[in-house]
Amino acid sequence: MSFLCGLSGLCGENLGSAMAEMATTLVEMDDKEGLGWRIGAVVITLMAIGTIFVFSAGVEVAKGVNLSRFYESANLRKALFFPLAVAVMLVVSRIDYRRLGFDNGLWRSPMTYLFGISVILLALVLVPHIGSQINQARRWLRIPLGFATISFQPSELAKWAVIFSLSAFCVKYGDRLKSFKKGFLPVCMALGLVVGLIIIEDFGSAALIALLAFFILLIGGANWRYLVAPLPVAAIGFAAAILASPTRRMRILAFLHPDQWTGSSNYQASQSLIAIGSGGFFGKGLGMGVCKYGHLPEDTTDFIFSIIGEEMGLVGTLTVIALFILFIVLGVMVINRCKEPFGKLLATSIVLAIGVQAALNIGVVTVVLPTKGLPLPFVSAGGTSMLLSAAAIGVLLNIASQCGKTRAGEER
Amino acid sequence: MSIEHRLSSGRITVWLFTALIVAFAALATRCLYLQYFGNEYYSDLSARQQQTVATISPQRGAILDCRGRVLAASEEIQTVFVEPRVLDDPKETSSELADVLDIGAHNICSIITDSENPGFVKIKVGVDANQAIAARKIHGVGIQSDWERHYPMGPLTTHIVGFTSADNRGLEGVELAYNKDLAGSAGRNIFIADAFRRPIRLREHDADVTDGVGIILTIDATIQQFVREALLEQYKNYRAESAIAVVAEPKTGAILAMVSLPDYDPANFNTADANSLRNRVITDQFEPGSLIKPMVMGGAVEDGIVSLKEKIFCENGNYCGKGFGCISEYKNGFGYLTPREILVNSSNIGMAKVGQKMGKEEVYQSLRNFGFGKETGIDLPGEVPGLLWPPAKWTGYSVTRIPFGQEVTVTAIQLVRAFCILANGGHPVNMHVVKAVVDNEGNIVKMTQAPPPLAYCIDPEVAKWLVTDAMVGVVNEGTGKKAKLKKWQVFGKSGTANIAKTGERGYAEHQYIASFVAGAPVEDPQVIVLVSVRRPDMSLGKGYTGGAISAPVAAKIIEKTLTYLENSRPDSQKGHLAASNPQAR
Repeated sequence: MSFLCGLSGLCGENLGSAMAEMATTLVEMDDKEGLGWRIGAVVITLMAIGTIFVFSAGVEVAKGVNLSRFYESANLRKALFFPLAVAVMLVVSRIDYRRLGFDNGLWRSPMTYLFGISVILLALVLVPHIGSQINQARRWLRIPLGFATISFQPSELAKWAVIFSLSAFCVKYGDRLKSFKKGFLPVCMALGLVVGLIIIEDFGSAALIALLAFFILLIGGANWRYLVAPLPVAAIGFAAAILASPTRRMRILAFLHPDQWTGSSNYQASQSLIAIGSGGFFGKGLGMGVCKYGHLPEDTTDFIFSIIGEEMGLVGTLTVIALFILFIVLGVMVINRCKEPFGKLLATSIVLAIGVQAALNIGVVTVVLPTKGLPLPFVSAGGTSMLLSAAAIGVLLNIASQCGKTRAGEER
Repeated sequence: MSIEHRLSSGRITVWLFTALIVAFAALATRCLYLQYFGNEYYSDLSARQQQTVATISPQRGAILDCRGRVLAASEEIQTVFVEPRVLDDPKETSSELADVLDIGAHNICSIITDSENPGFVKIKVGVDANQAIAARKIHGVGIQSDWERHYPMGPLTTHIVGFTSADNRGLEGVELAYNKDLAGSAGRNIFIADAFRRPIRLREHDADVTDGVGIILTIDATIQQFVREALLEQYKNYRAESAIAVVAEPKTGAILAMVSLPDYDPANFNTADANSLRNRVITDQFEPGSLIKPMVMGGAVEDGIVSLKEKIFCENGNYCGKGFGCISEYKNGFGYLTPREILVNSSNIGMAKVGQKMGKEEVYQSLRNFGFGKETGIDLPGEVPGLLWPPAKWTGYSVTRIPFGQEVTVTAIQLVRAFCILANGGHPVNMHVVKAVVDNEGNIVKMTQAPPPLAYCIDPEVAKWLVTDAMVGVVNEGTGKKAKLKKWQVFGKSGTANIAKTGERGYAEHQYIASFVAGAPVEDPQVIVLVSVRRPDMSLGKGYTGGAISAPVAAKIIEKTLTYLENSRPDSQKGHLAASNPQAR
């Protein structure tokens, strides 16, 4: 997300003034409550856990270590992205979050452009020769970059673009939302465009984005009658999306009958349960897991939680869950202390997005929910997700520090 | 501003985050359920799919004859194989392998690419150690060690030694009977395996590999060799259906040689004629004919039913009566005969009359005493018990027919044992082919034969009379003249049995089993020899009786065996053997 500040600079007056403003925000940084560094610590802890377990899960016995091709191996890539994500988080936390809002008008906010870019990338990824398939799903853009090919997942970017711009829109144009034609319908159409583009290849992300958008609109002041009204339509849409794809149909069916198809459709789910269940109380020990040796597919990405459960046992899984609960509690404290509407709504959206996605992911790997491809925030391997989440946390940290300042100001 | 109002009241926010935390708490409960209560179930599942067992196969024990000659042994062979799925470029691997194995790279490559098994393709069986070491270094190439069974004597001892399957399980003979000792036990390592069942790391060392122990037989390959030669000659001369010969030590029951024709080469057992596979000495039962006479007569004499001086009228060759039909002799009829003369001349009518005097129970008991109707318990698989009906089932015919060997079936090994008992002064003997089991350091693990019980199957005096008087008479003046030897006094009994028709009553015409059992020297019997030729070709006009066909073979075998034993045994052991005469105990 670091390029967003550059983007904002270009869209704003000029680069110089942007830099000057950034300098002033840096001076104004103040976080007496210490909420910021606590959230940072929780997030970095989760990232560290992720790095360790992606490293463990990514081990391949058959191949030796080839450093010249390190970018092809998930564990080394995660080790690279961890410090990068921390850096992104710190840099973004120094940028005034208000610049992301629509205060200066729709066309002066970087969010508008981010949203536009997301839509373009989402469309591009569907074009056969541009988007690349991983695991039968066309969700990635591969950008050749000298030493390595960077895979970029536009739906991750779209998720944050929707969350940020919708929060900004609700705060700035909340009144319009009361009107169906002028406010609610255009927003829903924009949302429908994004969700519609994503649902073709990635049901899980589309559902997550729709759910988050629904929550943000609910909190952000949309008329709940308007919100409830399109629900049947959305329900029919999602049902159609499920029925249209044999894979999804089978996933739902497999989920309803967990003991069947353990060799095919339920393979991943049953392997995930075996991994978690066989971990026991203290786990098999760090690095001593077995499921990662080809038994559990997607062990470094969506199913990293299973590997943690296998190697560290109940202690490990409860630790991760506790860290996410801690993150939510700290996030809610930031929301409570923030009096500025945009900051408040944006913080709510960010915490919700991370929390809901984590809950969905853990629900999937513990087979409480049907299988869908959502990474566990901060923990799973996957550069796009990690860097963008880190950037979002940077924004949250900035909100935390700004709110602290506001409170301090009031006290004076 | 309404938005601010709504946000600051934040009821929806509170509900949402409460719900979210409750969801996380629920997920934590789910983890507790899976990992604490479900641990055993899932650990079991994971163990089942994530383990692979690697076995190290042991070397199968050798089988040796009584003088240490190798009859069967296992040799390690190395097989070079390739795992095609891990190869980046089969051509490159092929050319590397070609240098090591001296096979064309093109050939190797086509073997690999034609393979339907992505995990295992055999490239070459039986490479030497250096080739194996070199080949192992190539990526995707592995070495598999197997054991190959060899039978250096070929068909010579095949019916005793038997053979093994390709996976080294004993299927016949001693290989089967002593499979547990010979097989040893495999080493077992349990590995954690990946999804392709490739081992990742050792989980458990389950068992050490233990090589099989060696088996020393009582068989002497030299004796076996000339027994087979002599029998094979007669078998071919008479175009017989089958022929068997056994050489046994009467004092111990040890089998020195055992030949069953037709035979086969154990290396090619799977292409062998099914007819040649069985060891007829123990698997074929037949009506013994005259060979059973000494045992019945022994019983009669022992119980005082007939005395040695008694003259029994043999009806001049035609004995008919109510309830038992008509009985005739093989050739000429006889008048009055003593028990000795009945045996020497092999009179059927004489034996029938003895049987009538004894009654069912006595005849039955005299045969049971020698173990007829029951397996001898020889340590070879597939032995049959023969058939001796209990007296309750006997008809009027039975008591007159069984004494000369009809209506009763026996195996050759039962006959050999019966004559061994007679030659051993009436003491029981255990027939056996395995002398000892030895471990890999050459120490005897166990002697297989416990000494037989101190008992008598027949009165020693009667046994002595049968051997030194009646059966010497058979050889010197009766049906067994062709078994006579200059150097040693031979005793014996001929037997020419009819072959019962299959599936109907009566006997097949002109189909006989010509047998002769002999022993020598009479003063201190060292060997008992049985020779039996089934269905000699009558059209050759060379004779068909045991005395004509089998007696000369038995004599030849006795002569060669005794000469061989005398020349090869050290003097001290000769004395030792004489001292171990059970009668001296």
